[in-house]
Amino acid sequence: MNKAAIDNQETFVLNLGPQHPATHGVLRVKLTMDGEYIVHAEPVLGYIHRMHEKMAENRTWAQYMPNTGRMDYLSALSYNHGYAAVVERAMGIEVPERAEYLRVITVELNRISSHLVWFGAFILDLGGFTPLLYAFDDREKILDLLESVTGSRLTYCYFRFGGVYNDIDENFVDGTREFIKTMRKSIPMYHDLVTKNIILMKRLNDIGPISKETIRKYGATGPVARGSGIDYDVRKNEPYSIYPEFDFDVPVYHEGDSMARYMVRMDEIEQSMRIIEQALDKLPDGPVMVAKAPKIIKPPKGDYYQAVEAARGSFGIRMVSDGTNKAYRLKLRSPTFSNLSLFSEACEGMLLPDALALMGSLDLVIPEIDR
Amino acid sequence: MDFAKLKEQLRPLAILEDVVAEETADVEVEQEEGAADLDAQSVPEPQQLPAINEVDHQAKGFDLDVKVEADKVVEAAKILDEQGFFLEAVTGVDWLKENQLEVVYDYCMWQPQCRVVIRTRLDRENPVIPTISAVIPGANWHERETHDFFGIKFSGHPNLIPILLPEDSDFHPLLKDFKVNE
Amino acid sequence: MESQSLQPSIVQFAPLDKLLALGRANSLWPMTFGLACCAIEMMATGASRFDLSRFGAEVFRPSPRQCDVMIVAGTINHKMAPAVKTLYDQMPEPKWVIAMGNCAISGGPFAFPGQYAVVEGADKFLPVDVYIPGCPPRPEALIEGILELEEKITGSRRWPRVKCE
Repeated sequence: MNKAAIDNQETFVLNLGPQHPATHGVLRVKLTMDGEYIVHAEPVLGYIHRMHEKMAENRTWAQYMPNTGRMDYLSALSYNHGYAAVVERAMGIEVPERAEYLRVITVELNRISSHLVWFGAFILDLGGFTPLLYAFDDREKILDLLESVTGSRLTYCYFRFGGVYNDIDENFVDGTREFIKTMRKSIPMYHDLVTKNIILMKRLNDIGPISKETIRKYGATGPVARGSGIDYDVRKNEPYSIYPEFDFDVPVYHEGDSMARYMVRMDEIEQSMRIIEQALDKLPDGPVMVAKAPKIIKPPKGDYYQAVEAARGSFGIRMVSDGTNKAYRLKLRSPTFSNLSLFSEACEGMLLPDALALMGSLDLVIPEIDR
Repeated sequence: MDFAKLKEQLRPLAILEDVVAEETADVEVEQEEGAADLDAQSVPEPQQLPAINEVDHQAKGFDLDVKVEADKVVEAAKILDEQGFFLEAVTGVDWLKENQLEVVYDYCMWQPQCRVVIRTRLDRENPVIPTISAVIPGANWHERETHDFFGIKFSGHPNLIPILLPEDSDFHPLLKDFKVNE
Repeated sequence: MESQSLQPSIVQFAPLDKLLALGRANSLWPMTFGLACCAIEMMATGASRFDLSRFGAEVFRPSPRQCDVMIVAGTINHKMAPAVKTLYDQMPEPKWVIAMGNCAISGGPFAFPGQYAVVEGADKFLPVDVYIPGCPPRPEALIEGILELEEKITGSRRWPRVKCE
């Protein structure tokens, strides 16, 4: 279809510019169009490149922790977790059990809030304004809870090497249980009003199918992979922290279209709430920081890798240490970078609004791609 | 996926590196305990073994570490792709003191869990390495990023223009001797 | 794009100017110009809990031709700076700029010696009217910034100032 369009028809280049309401940040896509059909799409990145990897070489290990919250600001705690875990792996620090439980509770709350922002913004792209307000309202409850324990609303810096820095109190536990109750009433409302809406079904069903082979060739992970039938979740396949203690399912849908990716994320909200409930029930007493926290962080020489399941996929950190107090090289493998790389292959021949639905279902956060 | 078979397939690609084989030195000392031969207790001969090592996942985070020559990366990518691995990341490391640039490929498998790291070293003055984007399309953007940051040229790459830096930039920021021109 | 200098009007009506200033200040239309993390706090300010539409600034227009105020929320890059300047030039007069967040004020956490990519502050190439510090600033801080801008436009503040204890 592409060759014929280029040879016979007149194509024009449309710039889906860096400033656009539907690109979730500063992404530019050069679209070669044949009328309303896309012949070729080329994402252009780099408009929010903030030198995270260079900064790692200029900051000490502990000074770098706030940076990890600013890469993917919607699920900043997962990124904190990955960074803390890789340095703890290198130095052999054992995190106390209560700290691990707190880490899991806060990370899962963060995952729910990230999926709520995705939900609101995605439906906004498709033209529906109201679900954004409902989603942000539910999200404010999570932000209040997390603010009471971490101190920030969005870009958290809560984890430390060897635990977390602040303990939770009874208000947090009661507030979280209260939130889970209200959320369990909201999710069926979202499904009734939004998911079963005929307009949404027509806009998402069979739109943007991505095959398993494409996912594997481009290295996509997270809900994008799970929407195409691949049962890969770092929390189950390569367990870290204390995820093996919890009983939760990994939602997998096999259709591979945008509706499947949408349903994966909606089901993940429920599974995260299951994990939080089990963690609150089993929460042990004890310290939240390792007893002999090392004052100077100097990981032994060598390179180490750690993968965690962020809200958008498998976030990996490869650290190369030369024994000093600054990183020699810190590579951040961001999940959205690999997820977006399949966009130009997946959207060939699609209508422009369908391509935007596909882009929204990939759940992009551009500062995470550009680092 | 057969881990042993994978190691056998990757073994011929690995470079030979000097490994001081301490186990064989101990065995020799025990056998010649009777003889007052002090030569057996001196520094043992370094052996040349292929640089393919199984690594403790708990300690390091990956399972297999293979060092290859620069022209063997495409074959390694083909072997891993056939086995069902996916490419996690391609990155570089600047070893200024050794005057080398290292390119590291991270591969991972959905089931069963396995992470393989392929590394290669290039000369810092002229870093050229063949691209693997014909075998694994996902490497296209990763290689562009590595080129941006380190100046490593991937020969055969369809579109080696800057991806994260401005399109007209000619500097490579993650090199250790990079200085900003005011 | 060059901006043209405006000729002041030959006849000036003070009550009319005051009325226009009051109208402009209480119905600022911001541009959706979220670059990074501060954009999410801007969205949260427009959502129902903090509700920017109480102050008239609810209508976020994507097109620069229809806005009054550009809220620069996020880090500006060397690659993005020409686009920001173009968008600013495309806005019709009278227009204002709010620099939201530490990155837009001075480069924020990304300004370190030897950095190569970040423009250290929006005021390097734009005339900024109000600075809102924070990383990211709370939605209440953004509302206070909008009220400061209203005070700048009209000369007096209609809403009570919050006393810090």
